[in-house]
Amino acid sequence: MSDKMGKGAFFRAAVFLAAIAAPLVIGNIYWTSALTLILINVLLAVSLRLIVLIGEFSLGHVGFMCLGAYTSALLTMKAGVPFGVGVVAGGVMASLVALALGYPFMRVKGIYFVILTVMASESFRNLALNWEAFTGGFNGLVGIPAPGTLKFPWIGDVDFGGFIEYYYLTLAVVAVSLFLMSTLEKSRLGFTWRAIRETDVQAGAVGINVLRYKVINFAVACFFAGIGGALLAHSEQTISPQAGSAFGVMTTMYLLIYMVVGGKSRFSGPIYGAVVLSLVMEFTRPLQQVQPMIIGFIAVAVVLFFPDGMVSMPGILRKRLSKTQKPFEVKAADGARKG
Amino acid sequence: MHGVVMDLSAQMIWQGVVNGLALGWIYVLMALGLTLIFGIMHIMQFAHGEIYMIGAYVVYYLCSGLGLLLVPAAVLAMLCLAGFGLFLERFLFRRLKEDWLAAVVAALGLTLILQSGAVVVFGLYERSIPVLAQGPLNILGTVVPKDRVVAVAVAVGLSSALYIFLKTTKYGQAMVASAQNPEGAMLQGIGPDRMAALCMAIGFALAAAGGTLAGALFTISPYMGLSPLIKGCTIIVLGGMGSLPGAFIAGMTLGLIDGLVPILFGHAWAAIGPLLVVILILVIKPQGLLGHE
Amino acid sequence: MLDMEVEQGRIAGIIGPNGAGKSTALNMIGGTLLPSKGKIVYNGRDISRTPMHRRAQYGIGRVFQENLLFKGFTALENVLVGFHLQRGKGLSSIFMNTPFGRGAETALQEKAREILAFVGLESSADESANDLPHGKQRLLCLAVALAVQPRLLLLDEPLTGMNAVEVDNMLALIRALKKEKGTTCIIIEHNMRAVMGLCDRITVLNFGRKIAEGTPEEILNNPLVAEAYLGAD
Repeated sequence: MSDKMGKGAFFRAAVFLAAIAAPLVIGNIYWTSALTLILINVLLAVSLRLIVLIGEFSLGHVGFMCLGAYTSALLTMKAGVPFGVGVVAGGVMASLVALALGYPFMRVKGIYFVILTVMASESFRNLALNWEAFTGGFNGLVGIPAPGTLKFPWIGDVDFGGFIEYYYLTLAVVAVSLFLMSTLEKSRLGFTWRAIRETDVQAGAVGINVLRYKVINFAVACFFAGIGGALLAHSEQTISPQAGSAFGVMTTMYLLIYMVVGGKSRFSGPIYGAVVLSLVMEFTRPLQQVQPMIIGFIAVAVVLFFPDGMVSMPGILRKRLSKTQKPFEVKAADGARKG
Repeated sequence: MHGVVMDLSAQMIWQGVVNGLALGWIYVLMALGLTLIFGIMHIMQFAHGEIYMIGAYVVYYLCSGLGLLLVPAAVLAMLCLAGFGLFLERFLFRRLKEDWLAAVVAALGLTLILQSGAVVVFGLYERSIPVLAQGPLNILGTVVPKDRVVAVAVAVGLSSALYIFLKTTKYGQAMVASAQNPEGAMLQGIGPDRMAALCMAIGFALAAAGGTLAGALFTISPYMGLSPLIKGCTIIVLGGMGSLPGAFIAGMTLGLIDGLVPILFGHAWAAIGPLLVVILILVIKPQGLLGHE
Repeated sequence: MLDMEVEQGRIAGIIGPNGAGKSTALNMIGGTLLPSKGKIVYNGRDISRTPMHRRAQYGIGRVFQENLLFKGFTALENVLVGFHLQRGKGLSSIFMNTPFGRGAETALQEKAREILAFVGLESSADESANDLPHGKQRLLCLAVALAVQPRLLLLDEPLTGMNAVEVDNMLALIRALKKEKGTTCIIIEHNMRAVMGLCDRITVLNFGRKIAEGTPEEILNNPLVAEAYLGAD
């Protein structure tokens, strides 16, 4: 058991080191900013999975991204608030709205909840689209400030507005967020969430305030969605509420697909899904019009043949291979079977 | 935000009302299909908006390419998409009966495939199909566009046909029974797979009809399916899943909100109006307006 | 319409033909259903509109008709969920792996094993609840209900699907609860022999109304009761 854990930690460390080295190795601004976006996708996909822990899922994650993005953008643009505060404020705003909506939303059965999240998300986007005085309306916001410079002891001044610097900033934020979410999932809170997913009636009967725990879960997940949105805003430096933008329904669909294709049963699932599918999206960019179709086919194929996602593939392959390889071993096991 | 009520005439309000009714009934056609499919197959067919869109395009090609008139083209489109529904049920959704998240993802994948396929095959710019009717109509002393009225009539006709089917025919009654209790339908000698196939066929046909109506009243584009899908889902939540009368009331309410609020209160309020209404209703009654359980 | 009183420390039974409303009554006491009229008073407190989780805080435990368990968890973890109320509300209770949290966690695991031992499941502690046979799942349901340290225990058909040995075992456990902890029990059951042998007082329902109430002997000799059962057949 501790051997497995050792392997897991080693793997994770290796991945983290690769992530740190990547922009330096690749040395190309386009890819660095693409990697930044991939990191943000990872954050969004993992936070989406948090909601699956209580047995629900949300198709409205982009709405909360939108809230986070606009909050941070407006605060930094109009009120001169520093970057760090803006991003956190974006997360807080998203989670406050999630808290408020959570109480009516979580009272209804599964599929209704999904529909409500879609409605909410589209409503937020439509609001941004139409509230011209405040949000710039159809054209969105342009010229969102990049994060400023910070003084570091040995390195001197670091301007986080540069692509590579922003990548590392994003990496730090995403890594911390993943750590927080992973800790929560393994904690008593996560345990209670999973109990609620199993049977919320019995959970209530042992004194768990099911509604409150579900709403907390939703608020936490949307907090990280807000952070993701804010990071996106400061990375692209423009945001737009149009239907085809990052805050449209397409993104929400992609995020759900990243999560399910990667595997919803494990924490690492959405990470794989987000990275692999984002890379697929990058490489199929020249085929822009067919791009959604490719992702769509992947989604349908995975769901039909590998329902537990990418993380289950090694296990399935291992089983298939062992079936073909070991007729002798089975016999030996039979002979040596414990009485 | 414009809180100021603009300079209105009764004319504009009537236009808004009739527009709202037409929109509402088109949404209802979507909602009926979604309700049927959800009630019997227990999956949310999120690709329904694309079916609506493809229905409109099929009619477009039948009319402009083959020179058919609107009505026969519409009927053909409905049959075509019903067949597509049978195909999807057999080869896709039947395999995903157990896992509803997988079914949602499959539906989303389907949406992506159909939507981008439409962009590739049909191109991005908007088109139009023959109108339902020309000119104005005089009702109760005010003038309203005739085509809206015709759209409402057609939608009402289709909905009534569905209602009669569900109430009187053996298959229809089995479908209602199956929605309450899957074993109940089997007692009538109709297997669940046939139920599923039937409800997909009917649902898809209704969506195609909705798309045709919308295309005739407005324009056709590959992205036209998203909004009616969301409205259809909103109606289901508002009206209460499994309740047909609830769907009608909710559809009308939503249509009227969409028709009147932009005129009265401005587009910003129209953006979040439906959401606020839904939240209000759900707080008071979590099962929806007329829902059970 | 039901008017019923249960004395503390007694075992009360509710019987009646199918559809008589027994589960409904129990669900109202437990909080999964809300009464449209009337009151439910527990220890002098009106709990008619209290949410279910609050009733658990007041000491009402439930064994449901279906095996409502946390199927993906082990038997031990199932009972640990039941200790939810005993964990305190602070942030430290959220994180299991801090030194402080670990100490408290170990103590709770001990207590959980004690409860499992009481119902006879200590050897199955680390098995997944899903893998347990029906009879053991029923015992686990009882264990989870006991985790809330109930003063009132509501049991909805606890003996269904059990063989004779398992039935006697369960009855012995319920009697032990009454004797050692003074737990009040309200039991719905169809197993007449068990009900007659176990309960101090029995209420008979038919068509949502109480048609008889009394000690087991009185009920056995009551013609209305026989008629209700025979009539339903």
